[in-house]
Amino acid sequence: MFSNCIKHRAFIRTVPLLRYNSTATESVASPVAAETEDQVAKKQILDHPDYFSVHNLFTVKDLFDARVHYGHKEGSLNDYMRPYIYGSRLGHLIFDLDITAEHLRKALNFTAHIAYRGGIICFFNRNALNSHLVERTAQECGEYAHTRFWRGGIFTNANHQFGAVTRLPDLCIFLNTQNNILNQHTAVRDSAKMLIPTIGVVDTNCNPNLITYPVPGNDDTPTAIELYCKLFKAAILRGKEERMKFLQENN
Amino acid sequence: MYFNSITMSRVIIKQLLPHTKSFCVTFRNPTVSNVFNYSTKVTTTNSNNALENLTDWETLSRKKKISKAMKAYLERSQEHDEFMKRQQFEYNIGKRHLANMMGEDPETFTQKDVDRAIEYLFPSGIYDPAARPLMKPPEEVFPARKAAEFDEAGRPHHFLFYTGKPSYFKLMYDAAENIQQLYNFQDKIIRKKATPDPNGSLNLSSSVWLTKDQLEQVLVETITELEYNNFKLVMQRLVSLPHAYRVKEFIEKYRKPLSSQKFALEIPKPSYDAEGRAFITTYECLRKKARGDVTVIAPGTGKITINGKDITYFEDVQSREQVMFPLIFTEMQDRVDIVCNIEGGGPSGQSGAIRWGIAWGLRSFVDAEMLQKMHVAGLLTRDFRRRERKKPGQPGARKKPTWKKR
Repeated sequence: MFSNCIKHRAFIRTVPLLRYNSTATESVASPVAAETEDQVAKKQILDHPDYFSVHNLFTVKDLFDARVHYGHKEGSLNDYMRPYIYGSRLGHLIFDLDITAEHLRKALNFTAHIAYRGGIICFFNRNALNSHLVERTAQECGEYAHTRFWRGGIFTNANHQFGAVTRLPDLCIFLNTQNNILNQHTAVRDSAKMLIPTIGVVDTNCNPNLITYPVPGNDDTPTAIELYCKLFKAAILRGKEERMKFLQENN
Repeated sequence: MYFNSITMSRVIIKQLLPHTKSFCVTFRNPTVSNVFNYSTKVTTTNSNNALENLTDWETLSRKKKISKAMKAYLERSQEHDEFMKRQQFEYNIGKRHLANMMGEDPETFTQKDVDRAIEYLFPSGIYDPAARPLMKPPEEVFPARKAAEFDEAGRPHHFLFYTGKPSYFKLMYDAAENIQQLYNFQDKIIRKKATPDPNGSLNLSSSVWLTKDQLEQVLVETITELEYNNFKLVMQRLVSLPHAYRVKEFIEKYRKPLSSQKFALEIPKPSYDAEGRAFITTYECLRKKARGDVTVIAPGTGKITINGKDITYFEDVQSREQVMFPLIFTEMQDRVDIVCNIEGGGPSGQSGAIRWGIAWGLRSFVDAEMLQKMHVAGLLTRDFRRRERKKPGQPGARKKPTWKKR
């Protein structure tokens, strides 16, 4: 319920809400008429339930083939993950892929919208096995990646860390939300602090509470990560293409 | 006239001091090789990647948008440019003053002349060259600054920007990418059952990995000990793969040639005397206080001439053994003649100097395998040990008076 509230708020207020110390672009004096026209166009896009038609990027079968439904052992279950679980088999939890698909589509839609508005998207992953793949995905879609040790304060003390005023990401995508099996990635907390919306693939042992768009699913298997990377990349590219079209038409 | 030159030099000193001070800074971080990373101009991303172009859309926008980050950067860069302009102006004036003082034409006064003039006008005996007075163009004195790492919309140029060490992690990324490519290539080769490429090989014996400091200079980032170890691990992994020669260029970017081995490889060609015999003269054969020169002549009969006498020049057996050792080791004792002039020191120092001179001269007459053996035996290593001074309060360098409790 709580996560629903956050989701709703972040989505509706992305446009007017400028973060307290945001370095996001501000428009410098522009004709009022054009502005309102723009806003009308943007609003229509926002009102559309699936403007970038991300729902056709994957099917539940694809998720199943990529082994997204495998969770961890029963003992490590986080109570907040109960609603997303279908059952358990031989002591291992199994995700309900229908719920996963719904969440994943929402997340992809949001990603495409952020990309459409020229937001900075940063991929996170602390699993050494998959980090190269994640970095490559980020590079291929012209976005950013952070799969290394998280030095504290990269978000919360950015101007000091980078030695200059720095624009922070507008969306963080966590392909796993854990640093190791015990601790949550600090960037999850820091993003929440800085009001940066997050998308996170949460396994059965993860806490989805601080994630804006949790996607219940397997966060360890390379095939699953490959699928997520492919989907997010496709969504980002759709958003960017749409943006290019829009900018060319309006120039 | 005298008074005039005094006031002039005062002007120059004023001009010199800040340069000298800041030059020390640049001396510690020579950034000359990385100038292209560090221009004050905004570097345009000259990538022909279509996706890259896709992200630079802010420039397409009708509304001119400049992020706070870019605004701050532009302000700083403008300030820096003005400062550099002022420094350049002052440098030119200083140069003209120097030219006038030296009685030369200010128009054709070059940096070389400036250095000469400074050395003449401000003679300095300070040991460290960095602490001596100097006058250099401002672009050499003040370290160049990093260009903006983001575009007008505040989007960073580098996809690993948020890690804080983009160049280092890009290097790790590239290494991993290369390893994966080599694995794929190897699979392909095995599937085709092809024989390995005979002329593909990687010679790493003549070079070593960059040290931590060198790597930091290349990357223009400070890295931790752990990160440097990770770098070495991943590169060693890459090198150990059977088809590593395919990424030779990448590997050699992070290796530095061994200078000492390179020096040892430069073996001089022997000259020929009137009788057509090959000879090599090694000058400056030093050991303890002895110094001299050794000539190795081949072919010969094993005749040894030391200051006009034969091997009996040395009275003790140990010194004679010392002289003979390189000849016996290389089995050349009756194939070459030795002529040496030696002075200073005692028998031990003189024989040591001759031993080294003979070994050094024999390099031209032995094969590579023997050369390697000589190297391992320590024949080609100079012995730099000198006599240790006597310390006050004790009879010798280390010797203490006999200790008695009471």
